[in-house]
Parts: sequence; C-alpha cells; structure tokens
Amino acid sequence: MARRPDEDYDYLFKVVLIGDSGVGKSNLLSRFTRNEFCLESKSTIGVEFATRTLQVEGRTIKAQIWDTAGQERYRAITSAYYRGALGALLVYDVTKPTTFDNVSRWLKELRDHADSNIVIMLIGNKTDLKHLRAVATEDAQGFAEKEGLSFIETSALEATNVEKAFQTILSEIYRIISKKSLASDEPAPTSIKEGKTLVVGPQDNNTKKTCCSTS
Amino acid sequence: MEKKRVEEQEGVPVALPKVDRFGFVKQETSATDGPTKSRSALEHEREERRIRKWRKMIGVGGSDWKHYVRRKPHVVKRRIRKGIPDCLRGLVWQLISGSRDLLLMNPGVYEQLVIYETSASELDIIRDISRTFPSHIFFQQRHGPGQRSLYNVLKAYSVYDRDVGYVQGMGFVAGLLLLYMSEEDAFWLLVALLKGAVHAPMEGLYLVGLPLVQQYLFQLDHLVKEYLPKLGEHFAQEMINPSMYASQWFITVFSYSFPFHLALRIWDVFLFEGVKIVFKVGLALLKYCHDDLVKLPFEKLIHALRNFPNDAMNPDMLLPMAYSIKVSKRLEELKEEYEKENGKLSDRIRQKLQPS
Repeated sequence: MARRPDEDYDYLFKVVLIGDSGVGKSNLLSRFTRNEFCLESKSTIGVEFATRTLQVEGRTIKAQIWDTAGQERYRAITSAYYRGALGALLVYDVTKPTTFDNVSRWLKELRDHADSNIVIMLIGNKTDLKHLRAVATEDAQGFAEKEGLSFIETSALEATNVEKAFQTILSEIYRIISKKSLASDEPAPTSIKEGKTLVVGPQDNNTKKTCCSTS
Repeated sequence: MEKKRVEEQEGVPVALPKVDRFGFVKQETSATDGPTKSRSALEHEREERRIRKWRKMIGVGGSDWKHYVRRKPHVVKRRIRKGIPDCLRGLVWQLISGSRDLLLMNPGVYEQLVIYETSASELDIIRDISRTFPSHIFFQQRHGPGQRSLYNVLKAYSVYDRDVGYVQGMGFVAGLLLLYMSEEDAFWLLVALLKGAVHAPMEGLYLVGLPLVQQYLFQLDHLVKEYLPKLGEHFAQEMINPSMYASQWFITVFSYSFPFHLALRIWDVFLFEGVKIVFKVGLALLKYCHDDLVKLPFEKLIHALRNFPNDAMNPDMLLPMAYSIKVSKRLEELKEEYEKENGKLSDRIRQKLQPS
C-alpha cells in the first residue's frame, strides 16, 4: 500500500479520546485540530473524528483522533474504536470528582478492549474554572504515577497545555515505536487508518513496511 | 453543521437575536447558508390552500382524523410525504404517532412522574440540557422554560422506563417534539415511539448495549452494498463502516445535525411510516453524493459523510429520491439474518437487562 503523495507524513498515529460525558473531550479535540472552542457545543453522539499533522521529535506525525461519546451506554459502539489505537487520552473534569473517580473504570475499559501496549495519558481538563476545582493536582499526579500514566492538566477554553498534551503523547508513542522497530526486525506496532494503513517502519534500514489492522 | 435555511423575518423587533423561521439563532456568517428568500405571494397562497385541505382532513382538534385515515390512507400518506403544514405539525404528529390516545388513557400520570418521582438519571440529564439544540432560542436561556421542559420530559421518561432511563440523543428527540407541543404531549409521543404504539418500538436504540442501533447499522451496511455497490466497495476498501457516520441518524432520527427544515420533513414521514424512512433518506443522501464520495480517501470521506452539501439536503429533492428507494422487503430479510446470528431483539434485550 503506497503512501499517497498528498499525504506527507512519516507516521500516522491513531489516538482515542475517552472519559466521562461532559469533561470536554470534543473541545480538546477542536482546540487541538482547529484551534477552536465552542461554548455551545452539543453532546457527542457516537464517535467524531479529526486529524492534525505536526512535527514531533523531528518527524512529521499525523494524529488521527477519534472522539467518543462519554456516556456509559455508548461503549457498546465506541469500544470498537479502541482497537488499533496507539494512544488514549483519558480525560476527567477537575471540577467534578466523579469524573476522576471513574478514571479507573475507563482504564479497565481500555484493558478489556484496547491493545495492551497502548500509551495512556491522563488529562485533567477545565483548569480555567479555578474557583470550582475539586480534584487536586497532586491526587491526580499520584494516581497517574501509580498507574504508570503520563499526566497533564489542561484548559481547552484557554488553550492551556492542549498542544503540550497532544505533543507529549505523540512523542511518547513515537519513542516507543522507534525503539521497538530498532530492537527487532518485526514491523513497528502499527499505526492505522482504521484498518487501512500504513505504518512506516524504521527509517534507518529504509524498509517501508505497511501493516493493516484488523477491523 | 447547523446549516440553516434563512428566511426573511417579518415584523420582528430589532432587539431580539436574529433567528430563522424555526427559532435557531442565525450565525453572523450565514451568507453561504442557502437561499435567502421571502415567500412569494403565489407560494403563500398555495400554502394557505394546503392548510385548508389539511384542516378539513383533521377536523376540529383531530376529530375526523381516524375516519379519514381509514377511508383514504393513500391520500394521507401522499400528503404527509409532501410535508405537514408547520402550523398543524404538532397536532398531526400526535395523531399519527398514537400519542394522543396514550395521553387520554393516562390522565395525571405525567404530572406524577414529573413532580413526585426521582430518577437516577437526573444528573446525566442536567449535564446535557444546555448541550441540546444550544443554538435554538427556546433552549438557550439557562433554566428558562425550554430547558425546564426538556428536563421534565426526559426525567419523566427516565422514571417511566427505568431500563432505558436517559441516553444521550434522546434529548434531541424530546427537544424537537417540544418545539411543536406541550411537555405532556411530548412525553407521550416519546412513550409512543419507544414503546411502539404504531410502529416497531424504538427503545432498543437506547437500552443497554444499544441493540437496535447495532441491528440498524448492520442492515444499512448491507443495503449500501446492495443498492450502491460501487460505493459499498469503496467504503470497504477505505474501511468505512456505518457506525462512523450513521449512528446519529438512527439514534436521533436526523435531528442531531441535519438542517431543521429537512429534519422536520423526515419526521413527518417517520412518524407515519416508521423507521424505514431513515434508511431511505440515508441511502438517498449517499446516492446523491455518490460520484463525489467514491473518489474520496478515508479522512475526506468521513468528513463528507458528516457534512453533506446544502444542495443534497433540500427536502424537495432528497425526499422524492428517498421515496423511490424500496427497502421494506430487504430490511425484513436482513433483520432475520441479523437475528439468526445474534438472537431476537427481545432476547438480546432481556439478556442484557438481566444481571449476569
């Protein structure tokens, strides 16, 4: 499967946005991909999708991001989208403790449906609502360390740390992939195009390998 | 994708936000939002004539309706397909959905549900209230009458049917109804739809596991392949499946992101003829955009499937095209096929509801 000439990137990484309903997943996505924030946004029904191409560790990475409906019942549809994802942004709302309490349920959800080596980043969103904060940074930080997740707090509204959050998870994925592909002759764990994909294998030995995920 | 048809406002005080004729606040940059036109005298006259015909058909407060439907079902069907006059829509919807009968049979029940019962879904509902038709003037005001009604209807339903409770997407259905009828009427129409007063029950769209969504997506997937083989093949190649674009078509019956004037016309037919119009409209959209869609790669395809061009969403073009697509027989066969693999819907529901 050849790379299309108009799609100029070295790697394509699929990332999912998950977390309770109303924590700001869709606005994080629109902030990252279009630099937009919508105060009057509708709740997400099913899944939404957006991409952005950016430079990470000197490589051109295309991030393909699936934004999922947060309500528990929608997992019947959304969990299919975890498959093949290299990264997951697990979002909670710093003003709503229950959304933080539910993080462990989301982790279980990932363990059940996602690839075992998926990179997970915990995101505490809505830091702009300072007077309403109800989840302490240290608590979330501690939890993330215990679970081996990276962690960051963001405000999609004020555009604080959104870029950094995505940059961080994408570089983490990149590092893992490039390490793996150096370490073995196996093709790098795939990035997918919901199936049709391309992973560009290790640059060093110049073998461009393609992989397809099953779905 | 709130593309609105822009209608000229007559006699609206300057101080009010500018809204279209359905009450959606107009974006400042609405230059590309479709034709701006005022109704010509001729159109106006035609509309008046249509309303008179409809009034005769319905009778005072709906008294002649049942009689008329029994005598001339084909006339009713034809007129509904042309669109119910907006001023009669609320009443006619209640008549054709069977909700009026439910309301009459259950006096006081709604009030009881709203005032005295509590629901486990209350917080979920509240969280979504301001995220339901956020650009509509009726629902914009925080804790205003629109938001209160929406909350009441959804809460009442979540108590009435605790297995369904509240699921995101129901708000758009309830919201659309509330623009045309009172809270109590909207509630009973929701009951009529989900419990299947006239057509197949919709509750499976919202129950645990979303079993009916899964079945509909399966059916649509096959219909696309059979009816639009070239596009079906292209979708398969690009790994596009209907859950990426059509879940909300079914879950909200096109009320989530389609232009409101189109959604209303679909709802007219949906309430009278059932869910097959959702498949037909979906297929018609794909057919209309077919030649563009088959050329697009994955990402552009997904975008296109969520942002159909304005000309595709003209009801007077799209709906006749949808009517010409025959799906009933295949839908039935595909349902059986799906049930062979996954069990009957009622069993699937029962299974999910029982704690394992």
